[in-house]
Amino acid sequence: MNFSFNPADLGYLIPYLIMAVAGMLLVLAEAFYRGQDRSSLVGLTVAGSLAAAVASVVLYRQIGDARVPLLGVMLIAARTSYVLSALFSVVTALAALMSPAHQKEHDWQIGEYYGVMLLSASGMIMLAHAANLVTIFLGIETMSIGVYVMCAMRRRSRRGNEAAMKYFLIGAFATGFLMYGMALLYGAAGTSSLVEMQKALATTNNPGLVIAGAFLLVVAFGFKVAAVPFHMWAPDAYEGAPTPVTAFMAAAVKAAAVAAMIRMFGLALGGDVLPFGSLGWASPMVVIAAVTITIGNISAVRQDNIKRMLAYSSISHAGVLLVGVCALGLGAASANGAIVYYLIAYSMTTMGAFAIVAYVGSKGRERLLVDDWAGLGAQHPGAALAMTVLLLSFGGVPPTGGFFAKFYVFKSAMEVYDGQLIWLVLVGVVNSAISIYYYLRIVTAMYFREANQPFAPTRSGGLLFVIAICPIIVLEMGIMPGFWVKLVGG
Amino acid sequence: MGNILFNVGYGHFLVLAAVLFLIGVGAVLVRRNALIILMGVELMLNAANMTLLTFSRMWGDLSGHTFALIVIAVAAAEASVGLAIVVAVFRGRRNVDVDKLTTLRH
Repeated sequence: MNFSFNPADLGYLIPYLIMAVAGMLLVLAEAFYRGQDRSSLVGLTVAGSLAAAVASVVLYRQIGDARVPLLGVMLIAARTSYVLSALFSVVTALAALMSPAHQKEHDWQIGEYYGVMLLSASGMIMLAHAANLVTIFLGIETMSIGVYVMCAMRRRSRRGNEAAMKYFLIGAFATGFLMYGMALLYGAAGTSSLVEMQKALATTNNPGLVIAGAFLLVVAFGFKVAAVPFHMWAPDAYEGAPTPVTAFMAAAVKAAAVAAMIRMFGLALGGDVLPFGSLGWASPMVVIAAVTITIGNISAVRQDNIKRMLAYSSISHAGVLLVGVCALGLGAASANGAIVYYLIAYSMTTMGAFAIVAYVGSKGRERLLVDDWAGLGAQHPGAALAMTVLLLSFGGVPPTGGFFAKFYVFKSAMEVYDGQLIWLVLVGVVNSAISIYYYLRIVTAMYFREANQPFAPTRSGGLLFVIAICPIIVLEMGIMPGFWVKLVGG
Repeated sequence: MGNILFNVGYGHFLVLAAVLFLIGVGAVLVRRNALIILMGVELMLNAANMTLLTFSRMWGDLSGHTFALIVIAVAAAEASVGLAIVVAVFRGRRNVDVDKLTTLRH
């Protein structure tokens, strides 16, 4: 490997650099900060992440259809990576906007939070560009370690600590699998570059190593995206973490893990040989996808706690994303764009839904049960309407982004040779119908039941902005999907 | 038998690493103390490091070495965050038994 540092490469990494530098500045700013109110740090956080988003858009327009290898093919710059990095930046900005009101209301004002959030987001942007085992590992760890810290920030809360502990232990366990799987693949291929790895693995004389390595990676990513049977941490972690952190975990972290899967399974383990056959990685993955969609939905039906319900719903959405990853591996050309479209729609829906959860709760009373939401429609019609739109998008009802997201993913699964994934598409469609049931439970509670006591929502401009913008984007994605489809290259 | 002592090959390192990895997985699955689980995870990561180094030498490719160094650094960062979380949990409950983490359950 001959490697020479080319300063011009840094130009392609401006979104990453903005994110990382802003994150470090924020951590530094906290050290010199006096007083209790941390809301002025939010301004810098939002400015940093929006600057990263703008830089991604500019680079997206400049780069065209080229794929530019950066820093000795450690990273690759392409259109998809800039779409994803813009998505991660916007989600980070939304999460930052949600946070100050929640911090003030629930008394966990810690300024490092914002710096750690941006550093974690810089890991996600690295994942969007990753083209080497090393950068995938570094990206995942930068992201995860930041989120462990964010999850544990509400130090005095028993629930917060417990959620952080569970999340951390499972995350670290998954890292062990990830690392060992990567080591085995490295051994079979003799290179850590994802592009060269595909060729080397297809002609290896050590198929055992490849199968074991791919299997370990399926397990590791199963933990990271919370796929059944590796999902048990997710409801606990989502419930116990502060709501803005939950939103960040459910939207951005999951999206970034899927972005890493696109690279790992679509590029390094893709091609005409590795995914196929009974020992290829696609066979366990389709089973995991089917089980994840089904179990996630069935468990969500039984939940009374809205955060847990959304956690199970996000598990079943991970299942749909895995269908997309399987289709990608099995050679469906449109799967890449479909997954990215799904990630955009899903992230926006999730951010909005958790923003409303944060809005409805107030000091000493988080109002997390479905019963607590009774009568929201009469007292706060705007929030109830926004929640209805978002829940319909989660359920995949037209005209929302969620509908087209599911549609495109399933359509790409249909394209797989010989209709091998048709049964999986059927499982997915039936489950979409089941999921409408529990989403509508919240809607009926909001509109058709009387409130048992008046709401005292957490009011803040940032929170209201997130609640307003997310349903608008989700509706826009559903009414005019053409722009977004072109954006993701479908 | 003397051969094994004097001719240590790549295979021995790989098998040792696989055994270490399985011990690590076993520790995570069986032990209930969060600290021991953390040690199990470290064992898994070090098994991966040993595998990386062996393969790196086998292929005559240095990227495996750099990868192992990066893994060591990241594992240290992860362990420090993990220990901080363990301390925070201990302050609240006076134990770090993962089976007793049952506040969040439905």
